[in-house]
Amino acid sequence: MSISVKTFDSAAEAARALIGDRTARFMGGGTLIMRDINEGEQSFSTILLAKDQALKQIHARGEQIVIGAGVTMAEILSSRELDFLHPAARSVGGPAIRNMATVGGNLFAAHPYGDLATALLTVDASLVLAGGEQGMPLADLLREREREPRPVVMSLTVTRPQQRAFRFKKVSRVKPKGVSLMTIAANLPQQAGRISGARIAYGSMGAAPMRVPAVEQALEGKTLDETGIAQAVTVATSGVEPPTDAIASTWYRHEVAPVHLKRLLLERAS
Amino acid sequence: MSVEFRKDLFADERDDNLNEIGKPTRRQDILGHVTGRSPFYDDHLFEGLLHVRCVRSPHHHARIRSIDTSEAERMPGVVKVIRASDVPNNFNTLLSLLNFGRDDEPLISDKKVAYIGEPVLAIVADTDRQARDAVAAVRVDYQVLPHVLDVEDALKPDAPVVNETYPNNTFDYHDKYDHQKLRFGDVETAFSQADKIIEGRYQMSPIEQAPIETNGAIAAPETNDRFVCYTSTQALFFSLGTTAKLLNVSSNRLHFIGGTVGGGFGGKVDSLVEPMAILACMLTGKPCRFVWDRPEEMQVGAPRGAERWYLKDGVMNDGRIIARKFTGYFDAGAYTRLSSYAIIKGTAHLPGPYTIPNVSSDVFCVYTNRTPATAMRGFGVTGVDFAIESQMDRVAQAVGMHPVELRIVNAYRDGDMKAHRREAKNCALIECAQVAAEKASWPIRDEFKRMSSLHGGGGERARIPYTVTDENGRIGERRSGGVAPRPTTVLPPATPAPPPPAVAPTPTAQPDYAHPAAAPPYTPLSPAPLGPPPATPQPSPPLTKEPAEPPARQANRPGYSRFASNSGFRRR
Repeated sequence: MSISVKTFDSAAEAARALIGDRTARFMGGGTLIMRDINEGEQSFSTILLAKDQALKQIHARGEQIVIGAGVTMAEILSSRELDFLHPAARSVGGPAIRNMATVGGNLFAAHPYGDLATALLTVDASLVLAGGEQGMPLADLLREREREPRPVVMSLTVTRPQQRAFRFKKVSRVKPKGVSLMTIAANLPQQAGRISGARIAYGSMGAAPMRVPAVEQALEGKTLDETGIAQAVTVATSGVEPPTDAIASTWYRHEVAPVHLKRLLLERAS
Repeated sequence: MSVEFRKDLFADERDDNLNEIGKPTRRQDILGHVTGRSPFYDDHLFEGLLHVRCVRSPHHHARIRSIDTSEAERMPGVVKVIRASDVPNNFNTLLSLLNFGRDDEPLISDKKVAYIGEPVLAIVADTDRQARDAVAAVRVDYQVLPHVLDVEDALKPDAPVVNETYPNNTFDYHDKYDHQKLRFGDVETAFSQADKIIEGRYQMSPIEQAPIETNGAIAAPETNDRFVCYTSTQALFFSLGTTAKLLNVSSNRLHFIGGTVGGGFGGKVDSLVEPMAILACMLTGKPCRFVWDRPEEMQVGAPRGAERWYLKDGVMNDGRIIARKFTGYFDAGAYTRLSSYAIIKGTAHLPGPYTIPNVSSDVFCVYTNRTPATAMRGFGVTGVDFAIESQMDRVAQAVGMHPVELRIVNAYRDGDMKAHRREAKNCALIECAQVAAEKASWPIRDEFKRMSSLHGGGGERARIPYTVTDENGRIGERRSGGVAPRPTTVLPPATPAPPPPAVAPTPTAQPDYAHPAAAPPYTPLSPAPLGPPPATPQPSPPLTKEPAEPPARQANRPGYSRFASNSGFRRR
């Protein structure tokens, strides 16, 4: 099968073409799809592109920031509004990859990728789809992202975290460009010195990035110190079934997750 | 980083006018690399270049019932399907160029596959994509066989036979044993005299060389019925010789052009891509390119093999190791490639850089249903070094000694006899250890600071001890007798060997390990041993006579040459 490429003016048209064609893939930056093509992946033979400028926009409305799905990691890194996402964007690949890899692509990047998506889970990301649907929580998409036909994401809306509330850690064996053994994002808003509305997400600890409700609940109303986080560390992998892959085994991920979580929680906010 | 030279240590031993070390040297190829002008094999593209891809086994171990290429052959761009029967001489072993080992591996396997990724068929097409699509359309009917992935499991009598050439799942050493032996002195007697016995099990996983440029070759027809081949090989004439054999052509019809190797580290000596590219070129008359993609490089490209080692040391309370016994298992994967040789090399390295008067080693080259292993930077030595040095730390802990002092007390000194019967020369471990301890601010005691590689060696330490030999592990014995190797148990009494040559030290020269001098070198007391009597029968145990010569063997094949652990490459 030769590969055909179809280019559309709007993402909505591309999304319609995607629905009718199982052999088509919508391509963002191409860091994953072009690799598949180079390796002769047989599951698709058509690439859909969209020249839609809306995909490339970043704009803030108060505490809400809308990020186009075609925004690259490099563009996040050059955006002042998205400064809290810089550590996550910087953890993706090297400079060449960051110049190509998009926000939208990261949402569909299979394990062990998806570091940015892990971060986005903690800032209440909701999606606008190319078909017009709005407000779909990112977690819902991640849970069912393998299901065909895959939606085309237009943009995400995130809520800027409180000052110094956001933390991010990507644990990898090779530095600085290794894939993730475990990625942790934490949004820890505080009221009067106590955590209120904690959001914790893990990457590379399951089929897709996920929130960790057990840890979030254990942190509620607690202080960010050794005693305050003790319960959260105990339940670090509660409800989590980490995979075994070339980087680490299930056992190993279970063992180290509490350690990395504890370090992140006790890290002094910079 | 500044370099500090300690030329004073060996000033009278060698000319230390170093021309390169410590001086800035520009790599000869760096200008081409940083300016993007280094020529790689893949830069030699031809008009009408065809592309080769392999159908590969998805199973560890399977018999091939049938291969259906009908759909693939009809696909657009497909020029040629290459089957096992198209390979003129489809059976080879890499070291056959040195007459070491028997042919055991096809270039294309259509009867049986013994590892995931083994090539079953190749397809030549106009584009890489078309070749890949056609590969995906080939239907292979496999009868999955039981597989074995662990070296010790592979030695069990009921283990599946991985490689028909070696039905015992072990390489045949010296046409006689299922393992490579090293015998020096009498470890069992020394164990009985030791203050402590320390045992360890060590294991190393395979390591992929991971070159940036994957293995590949481009072949094209040349004038005068020759073929030109641009290749990534690390070993140009090795690849040329291997190709000539597999394709049954005279080597002067092959024009190999190397150039820049885009990273090799041992992963580009197996010569699998060149024969395939040239064969495709022969069969189509067109230029052909055969390149592994990254997953192939990782899955099919031969890694440094896995190793497992059992070590048993007999140690005196003052830290002297008086006996060391090894049982090693090299995981060759499904085919020999270079693992057999790695073991020869590794055996010559035992027992590490230490003067240990009694050493015994059995090392097995084991076939399993894993990716065949091959060369990688110091292969054969690095793995067992990890085992040895980890064991040294364990010994230091057991006798309550500084790990650096333990190494100093046991280190080779000039004039000492190594276990493979070569004299130690230019030794420097003691000095290195002293400097390392000093630099690391990890102080050692004065007596250890005063020790030197130059003094205290030789003499009694240069003696070749009377050596207990045995006939254990004859080829096939293990499988038929159902005795798996037991690394930590005492060997059964040695079968008497043919009458040894007369001149040999008598058993009464057995050193006394219990009462050493205050510091090494130890001086054995004679004649009466103070320790328990040796376990071996007193009258004339099998002896070795001369250091450089192993016991005379029957020359069975004229002109047959092979490696020996103690004398290198020999012609018989």
